[in-house]
Amino acid sequence: MAKDTPITAKSDSTGDDGRLVRLYDHFRREWQIYLMLLPTIIWFIVFLYKPMYGLQIAFKDYSIFKGVANSPWVGWEHFQTLFSNDSFIRAVKNTITISFYNLLFGFPAPIILALMFNEILHASYKRTAQTIVYLPHFISSVIIAGIVITAFSPTVGVINAVMGWFGLDSIYFLTQPDWFRPIFVGTGIWQEAGFGSIVFLAAIAGVNPSLYESAVVDGANRWQMMWKITIPSILPTILIMLIIRIGNVMEVSFELVILLYQPATYETADVVNTWVYRQGLQSGQYDLAAAAGLFNAFVAFVLVMTANTLSRRYSRTSLW
Amino acid sequence: MQRWNLYSQGDKFFAIVVSILIGMFTVATLYPFIYIAAVSFSSGFAAQAGKVVLTPIDATLEAYGYIISDPKFWISYRNTFIYTIGGTIMSLLFIIPGAYALSRPQLKGRRFFNLFIAFTMWFNAGLIPFFLNMRDLNLLDSMFGIILAFAVNAFNIILLRNFFEAIPQSFEEAARMDGANDFQVLWKVFVPLSKPAIATITLFCIVSRWNGFFWAMVLLQSEDKIPLQVFLRHTIATLSDDDEFAIVQTAAGFSAETVTAAIIVCSIIPVLIVYPFIQKYFEKGILLGGVKE
Amino acid sequence: MSGVNLSGIVKAYGALQVVHGIDLDVQEKEFVVLVGPSGCGKSTTLRMIAGLEEITSGDLIIDGRRINRVAPKDRDVAMVFQNYALYPHLNVADNMAFGLRIRRMPKAEIKTTIDDVAEILGLTPYLDRRPADLSGGQRQRVAMGRAIVRHPKVFLFDEPLSNLDAKLRTQMRAEIKRLHNRLGVTSIYVTHDQVEAMTLADRIVVMNDGNIEQVGTPMELFNNPANTFVASFLGSPPMNQMKGTMTATGATVGDAEILIDGASAANAGRDVIVGIRPEHVTLTAQGPSSALPISLDLVEPLGSEALLHARHGDNAMVFKADTNGDISHLSGVGEVHVPSHLVKLFDAETGQALTLGA
Repeated sequence: MAKDTPITAKSDSTGDDGRLVRLYDHFRREWQIYLMLLPTIIWFIVFLYKPMYGLQIAFKDYSIFKGVANSPWVGWEHFQTLFSNDSFIRAVKNTITISFYNLLFGFPAPIILALMFNEILHASYKRTAQTIVYLPHFISSVIIAGIVITAFSPTVGVINAVMGWFGLDSIYFLTQPDWFRPIFVGTGIWQEAGFGSIVFLAAIAGVNPSLYESAVVDGANRWQMMWKITIPSILPTILIMLIIRIGNVMEVSFELVILLYQPATYETADVVNTWVYRQGLQSGQYDLAAAAGLFNAFVAFVLVMTANTLSRRYSRTSLW
Repeated sequence: MQRWNLYSQGDKFFAIVVSILIGMFTVATLYPFIYIAAVSFSSGFAAQAGKVVLTPIDATLEAYGYIISDPKFWISYRNTFIYTIGGTIMSLLFIIPGAYALSRPQLKGRRFFNLFIAFTMWFNAGLIPFFLNMRDLNLLDSMFGIILAFAVNAFNIILLRNFFEAIPQSFEEAARMDGANDFQVLWKVFVPLSKPAIATITLFCIVSRWNGFFWAMVLLQSEDKIPLQVFLRHTIATLSDDDEFAIVQTAAGFSAETVTAAIIVCSIIPVLIVYPFIQKYFEKGILLGGVKE
Repeated sequence: MSGVNLSGIVKAYGALQVVHGIDLDVQEKEFVVLVGPSGCGKSTTLRMIAGLEEITSGDLIIDGRRINRVAPKDRDVAMVFQNYALYPHLNVADNMAFGLRIRRMPKAEIKTTIDDVAEILGLTPYLDRRPADLSGGQRQRVAMGRAIVRHPKVFLFDEPLSNLDAKLRTQMRAEIKRLHNRLGVTSIYVTHDQVEAMTLADRIVVMNDGNIEQVGTPMELFNNPANTFVASFLGSPPMNQMKGTMTATGATVGDAEILIDGASAANAGRDVIVGIRPEHVTLTAQGPSSALPISLDLVEPLGSEALLHARHGDNAMVFKADTNGDISHLSGVGEVHVPSHLVKLFDAETGQALTLGA
């Protein structure tokens, strides 16, 4: 295999390969991994970074004909418009409010579920229950919305049917602003609590069994063990998941909002992303909508970075 | 069960209460599916009278008869399969080599590239610039555009990269000394060793493609390109307001609601069929990608 | 001529240099063992020879050809890894055939090669099994088989026995030695275990802190360690080392004087380290020797011999003594006799061995 010996007289005789030679060798030897990486990098540039460049229309009077680069700059005008727009302010408030309810009711649900699963001894019962409660996570939001719309319908819906048994008047839930948030948050819990419990179950599985054994010897009951051993042991996981949730406050699952809201419920249901969707994609006010999106993305970025910094303090590695 | 016999009275009581609560939550999770199936098999009349609670009333297959005679249903069903299979293959073609490259310690600029990819999880340009970009790329109303533009995401790459990084370095080194190049190391060693992780990612891709709705709705105009989810959305949004449909339905034994329910059932069935096979993977999978650098 | 020649080999990670320019000549068919404590650079050196680490500077020559910049696959070397790196998804035969297939060897030829090597290693009945279904020793053999099938010019072993239990390690050690005798392929073997080094090596290379401390046959190193590091690294228990001062006839250690062959007035007064192998002392005077009074701490019976843990002044030391089936006579030992021709001297500051009479 002598032909594989590189013919580079100088470096081979001096015995000390220079930096450039070693760099050349590196690429000659490892070019394949760069080739493998290339499509992914190009993809990220074309589909995720190029739109970031396009974000400049938030500061421009965007015209489809002039394109992103040639539209004239308008500075902060769009942002001034946004913050004097009641419906946008309302969307920001709704986003935060819905996230807050999601946190308040949606966050503890998977933890409680995991703690309960941990108490079940019958293996196949536990397995079956887990299989079922994980399922809704894999169902599309259109289907979820379809089910909710059907179930809460004033005529067809089972909810109103059951209310009828107790002599209650039927309610057209999805047109009532007061009902939107409970339905939305409840649907979220129904869909995600089971799947969310996986992380906590894994944390519980990681608790040293000898802690429980010594507690048994000390005469503790299961309830006490849950409070004195399980919960303190999974507290770091709980904390990290909480930080992630707080970091994602701006991320209300707007697909489901779009599917469930209607003009009658905008006052409680409209979030920033649905507002952007209507203003931008439906009404064609791209620049203003992009400004709203940028505001949302910026706040989200700050929150996520803060959350990541916080989580570094609680776990040895960062979240990502 | 050995442990059960060692439980005190109080612990037994506690365990029973918890089992009952879990049972109730499980039933509550399952109930909407049973309910929607019951609606789909009920007559339109019974459904609209609000009689359906648990089992079909005036059981009929009329709603299913209506949708299977609608060519748009079949086209959208076919499209969903195209998006799911094509999209998943496309995703794996990007993700597997990309994650492998990012997992190699010898990759120069590895920190930069990892940050380059992870950054997109923290900051996103948003709906409008993404949409305008798709328009500039001439990918509006394009099936290929849908398949390509959602092929990669940072989370899946990082998940697989983490898995690859956990493979002992000596596997790669041994293969290299045996004369394997990177493509051979990846294909003959890493891919077979990473079956669980790749299965997990395949699963995530399949699920997100099968369920994908928002961008398909925004980007696709042609009726012959829309996937099942968008078709379902159109059905829910339009059927109840459609006068022509209202006339037809009174004659037949179905209603907008039973038709919607039937489409929902048809769209869930493939998920239910695949679900048991994938379950063993995703539990491990989400932990792989989760809290780990 | 399948020799391996290293000259001035340096490995640096950025500013941190971990191998400081080592020179080594491995002859064809020789079995050379690199031994040293963890972090001494022995594995890095081996990996540079394998081509798994880039060489920062220096020349690596195999068979007269400089291969610093040649890819591992083209170096014609094979390596046995510490964790064996057997592919769990392939059976034994496919594991061994992996490299041959990559190199596009014809199928029939692969089969005969695999069968031959499996025969040599006693793996024939296990060819269809997956690594997970094999014992530790069998996996070890497969790992070697994978190296052997390629008929490389050089075998590299990276601590191949460290994952085995003590009994199996002894057995596999002998097997590696027999295999080497049979195949006669140049081998470079890395270990931190001095017993493995002593038993396997034609020549041992003792490394420490990225430098070679000494190169030589096992007995050369045992008998004439070049410095205190080698003296304490090879031999079990290690050589006793005590501070002392030269006299005209030997050296004083504590309040005793130990006679040393070749001592002269010329060296008197020099500070030295006196080295005495545990197995060199006797309980009664035999030939020219000097008595070293000790206070006995502990007697550890090993069977045919026993270890005596003792002190002389501030110096703690260990000696070996024959038991002859009984240790009761050892409990009262108050002095040992040190043969004057077996005492080693090292410079007190540099730790380098001193030769007297020159």
